[in-house]
Amino acid sequence: MQEVALESAINSIRVRFGSQALTRAAELPPPQPWPSGSPLDRLTGIGGIPRGRLSLFTGAGTSGKLTLALELLARATREFAHAVVIDGGGFDLSSLDSFSPEQGPLTIVRAPAPETAGEATAMLARAGARFLLVMSDVPEHWLGPIESGANRSGTVLVGVVESPGRALAHASSFSVAFARTEWIWERGLLVGLRVAVRCTKNRVAPPLGETELEVRYPLGPRTLRDFSAGVVEASPRDIAEVRPRASAAV
Amino acid sequence: MALRQAEHLCPQAVFVLPDEEAVIRIRELLSTALYDLAPTVEVRDEGIAWLDLDGVVHPGEAIREMRRRLLKAIGREPRLGLAPGPFSARLAASSARPGRLMRVEDARVFLAPHPSRALPLEVEQLERLDLLGLRTLGAVAAIGPRELESQLGREGRHAVLLARGLEPDAISAWRPPMFTSAHRQFGEPVEDREALLFVARALCGDLAEELGLRGAGAKHLRVRLGFEASEGEQRESVVRHPLSSQAELFGLVGAWIKEWQPRAAITELWIELPVLEGAGRRQLRLWAGSDGSSDEVIAALERLQERFGDEVVWKPA
Repeated sequence: MQEVALESAINSIRVRFGSQALTRAAELPPPQPWPSGSPLDRLTGIGGIPRGRLSLFTGAGTSGKLTLALELLARATREFAHAVVIDGGGFDLSSLDSFSPEQGPLTIVRAPAPETAGEATAMLARAGARFLLVMSDVPEHWLGPIESGANRSGTVLVGVVESPGRALAHASSFSVAFARTEWIWERGLLVGLRVAVRCTKNRVAPPLGETELEVRYPLGPRTLRDFSAGVVEASPRDIAEVRPRASAAV
Repeated sequence: MALRQAEHLCPQAVFVLPDEEAVIRIRELLSTALYDLAPTVEVRDEGIAWLDLDGVVHPGEAIREMRRRLLKAIGREPRLGLAPGPFSARLAASSARPGRLMRVEDARVFLAPHPSRALPLEVEQLERLDLLGLRTLGAVAAIGPRELESQLGREGRHAVLLARGLEPDAISAWRPPMFTSAHRQFGEPVEDREALLFVARALCGDLAEELGLRGAGAKHLRVRLGFEASEGEQRESVVRHPLSSQAELFGLVGAWIKEWQPRAAITELWIELPVLEGAGRRQLRLWAGSDGSSDEVIAALERLQERFGDEVVWKPA
């Protein structure tokens, strides 16, 4: 009897709010990875950034999260027909140049308000933009449509924020926290930074882990060495080596 | 039988006249449901539908899909007949059990035992056939077309050709109207925006389903709100890129409704698509698995520009 009532409630929710509003766990498809070629692939546990899910890069300023996101964006422009940045005001196109992006597939949506950013993200996720880099606040009521849209189209959705709100943190399937551990100086010049990257939430695979990255700044034509902007894994630590801690996955 | 004749034969009977509008609506519904299954589809008011399967690559799949869609549309299992022409197919279907297909290889052999009353003739002409002793289609087929023409006129010749399985009639193809609309009348006037959005989403879903079957997209969208005592309000837009999915339609309709300030409680909601673009102009997800949704992304970016201004979307290239 209870099962019938439950089934009826589920059906009425689907009729009222759409078929995507409620999905049974058994009906969920397994997350598909987008191999990004970055050290994050290992942290996700599925060999790539999850498609159709929100991945969140968090951390204080100058912790390398945007650099890593830009590297993913540049790679997306080389692989996909559309890579879109939802810019709340902090995106500088020249910062992307050193990652050798393809300009053709790149589109920047300049959202004057979080509401616009939310609507644009939902619309593009639903339409099937393959890669969306969200650098803006998104109102809570847009997170549902964004999630369901991306889920249907398999969009790779990456959000970059300093400290996520509760709703955004809850909506993400994969969150990594960036923390700068030290600056890198060479021959008296600041050439980059070392960053500890810790997976704080992982809904797509069991492992939570951390690694350390070396973020190198571009130095222009007069480089002391053959520097190029980029992110490399400085001293990769195996996920198994990381001391187990309380799970942050929801 | 004429109504006057029926009333004469049975004076106590209550005769309910057919609801012409409902008949047309059901015919349109069935035509829409079957439209994309074959190049030529005809639906008649009396509840018969024909599909010309000539040139259809997988006729078996088309028939199975037809059965499924008819079941969904009318809620009953249809009777199915597959034959060389429309007349023999109709008789084959009427002989089949609900949900089953009767297949006819040789139309003349199949038709021969059927009564001649199955021919599309006037009552007097059928009685004449009876008087002539032509009680089966086999008997009608055995005499020459000219002989029966001399008795019944041109219809007699036509009847012989039908009885011989020569199928002189062709199916007349249904052409979908190049506009469509969905409408909801509320029992109680609606003041709640959420309720209106809910109904609008459902109407967009109905329209998207119809557009999907027809392979069409809307180039023009109009939303009208009706009020109890005063004149209605409307909002419309011509879109650069045709809208075809529920999400696309509701994206625009929902955005309008969210910012609409109606002057009174709403009694009716119309969503009209006055201009449709023909099938085949837009093939979404053609390259499924890669970037087949490119068209949809471009359309979404254009819609963002329409809503928030051109400067919102910037392409560096």
